[in-house]
Amino acid sequence: MSFHNYTPVLSTMPGVVRILDLVKNYELEAVTVRALRGVSLTVEEGDFLALMGPSGSGKSTLLNLLGCLDRPTSGNYYLGEEDVSEMEDDQLSEIRSRYLGFIFQSYNLLAQYTVVENIEVPLLYQDRRLSEETRRRCVELAELVGLGDRLDHRPMQLSGGQQQRVAIARALVNDPHLILADEPTGNLDSRTSDEIMQLLAKLNQAGKTIIMVTHETDIAAWARRVVRMRDGHIESDEPNPHPNGHIALVTRH
Amino acid sequence: MNSDSPLLVLWDKCCRLMVLALRSLWLHKLRASLSVLGIIIGTAAVISLMAFGEGSMHDALEDIKRQGATNIIVRSIKPPDDGSSQRRSFTVTYGLTYADFERFQMVSSVIGSVPMRIVDPQEIRRMQYMHRGRVVGTTAAYQNINKIQLVMGRFLVDADEEEGDGDDVGMRNVCVLGSDVAEAMFPFESPLGQTVVLNKHLFVVVGVLAERMPTGAVGGSSVSAEEFNNDVYIPLRTCRGRYGERIYIRQSGARSGEQVELHQVTLTVTDMDQVRTTGDAVRDLLERNHLKKDWGVTVPLDRLEAAERQKQRFTVLLVFIASISLFVGGIGIMNIMLATVTERTREIGIRRALGAKRRDITFQFLIEAIVQTSVGGLFGVLLGLGIVYGVPYAAEQFFNSHLPAKLHVLSIFLSLGVSICVGVLFGWYPAQRASRLDPIEALRHE
Repeated sequence: MSFHNYTPVLSTMPGVVRILDLVKNYELEAVTVRALRGVSLTVEEGDFLALMGPSGSGKSTLLNLLGCLDRPTSGNYYLGEEDVSEMEDDQLSEIRSRYLGFIFQSYNLLAQYTVVENIEVPLLYQDRRLSEETRRRCVELAELVGLGDRLDHRPMQLSGGQQQRVAIARALVNDPHLILADEPTGNLDSRTSDEIMQLLAKLNQAGKTIIMVTHETDIAAWARRVVRMRDGHIESDEPNPHPNGHIALVTRH
Repeated sequence: MNSDSPLLVLWDKCCRLMVLALRSLWLHKLRASLSVLGIIIGTAAVISLMAFGEGSMHDALEDIKRQGATNIIVRSIKPPDDGSSQRRSFTVTYGLTYADFERFQMVSSVIGSVPMRIVDPQEIRRMQYMHRGRVVGTTAAYQNINKIQLVMGRFLVDADEEEGDGDDVGMRNVCVLGSDVAEAMFPFESPLGQTVVLNKHLFVVVGVLAERMPTGAVGGSSVSAEEFNNDVYIPLRTCRGRYGERIYIRQSGARSGEQVELHQVTLTVTDMDQVRTTGDAVRDLLERNHLKKDWGVTVPLDRLEAAERQKQRFTVLLVFIASISLFVGGIGIMNIMLATVTERTREIGIRRALGAKRRDITFQFLIEAIVQTSVGGLFGVLLGLGIVYGVPYAAEQFFNSHLPAKLHVLSIFLSLGVSICVGVLFGWYPAQRASRLDPIEALRHE
């Protein structure tokens, strides 16, 4: 099989994400750290899930696994219908570039690229040529997140909130099945946090599936569903009947 | 799903990465220039060394060709003292004779021969002017064999050898001046038809030689360089008559003399293939007729081949030196690339998270290394060209010395190619290292 033209078939049928009894152990020098001790979870399309828990609860490990950045020690992870847990490194890269969008706490923009170029990065690794069309799409996304007038700025010239908007636009550029956000407001003040969360809520309402790690309850309040973790287990999994953004948007219109 | 041909995609990626690499080079100008310094120096060294080597080799080959590749030069050599040093004041008779000259004509492959009598530096006078030059008695054939160019007048002609219709003893007192002699004797006027004084006799100037490069000294110690510019040529017959065959030298009180009939005979052979065998025949002839080894045979063709062999050795040496300097340059690149990989760990993590495969990362850093070395190579080529054209010019301007340099076009492509190869070779390991980083670890890197 040539990895070059490899395009996994993903169905958007029941559950974008299904994980079954996921276990992840880290082998340190003398001890084995059991970060995940059998986690099962299904995320439906269009869901907005907040993953909470104290540090060491395994939420970051889970996010890394969900983001196909790591492979589980055991258990299965179906992204759509693909069993991602058995995939090779190159296949995982392919999955990341086509079906996943990442938003990090520290934005993680490339300093030498402009706003538009940063948004473009996931497309660089899709084994296709970048056309005028893709460039236009990046510009549109920049406008969508409210940075239409800063297309040629570098990350250093932008505020934290603006940088995070670029990161969000970047996470959207490949039209992902799943957006993973790792404490997206962790480095922002509360007003900017609000703006970012509103943007995410808007995306979710437009149909994007989002999984977000946070340890702030008022940020988690924007999600439709809150999953709490402790010691590598899921402690609770509750729907949020009145997510923040939903109400805000409903009242606004 | 958009699916382009993989080659186009690769090309697209290449272009992007090159632009990115150039951009980051521009961003870190100082660091980049320091890291490619080795490559710059290496490339410049290859180009300039090759040019100077080629230039001097070219000069040497030209020099040999000027002597004539189809020529055989036979010279008289004073034999070593054979224990008869008591006869200190006696005249030593040695060297080529007129009989030898006649015998050379009998070798079938010889088509031309020029006898020469060389009288060592003599005073050439005219009014208040004086110049020391070599007086050479020779015949008309000298012009052809040595490819003499004249700026005015004529060279010696066969009629100059004939008796009669000359001065009181039937000798023609004509001379042809070398360019330096003419310059010294007649700074302000045309020398043609004027007279100069050689050994108390008046000679009419009939021609002046064009200035020309001297031919280098022939390998053996006994055979000196031919200068041409400082020579005065007179008919052989006149030379015999005016100077005689004995030359006396005063040396630390003792008077010694030597008698030589002909100092040199230059033979021309039909073609290059015949040169060797004719040379052997001439040697054979001389060995049979001379008791002592008072002669030497030089075949310029031998020198030509020796020079070409030397040129090859020289090239090998140059390649060796160049590869050392480029190797050192490559280590510099590798060092800086390793530092870059560490410094940009986070960027690698971001790219990996956003979908870059290992080979994408390898490719990126490899391209970066190649761009660095080829930019370094380009600057090296410029520096090398500067040296090749600048240094000989400066040497000529300030030190008045001739420094031959001949740019070898191949050396430009060669050194650029090698720079690129160095980039691949020394960029590979850092690029591999970059691609092996764990994306999660890399993302966490500060």
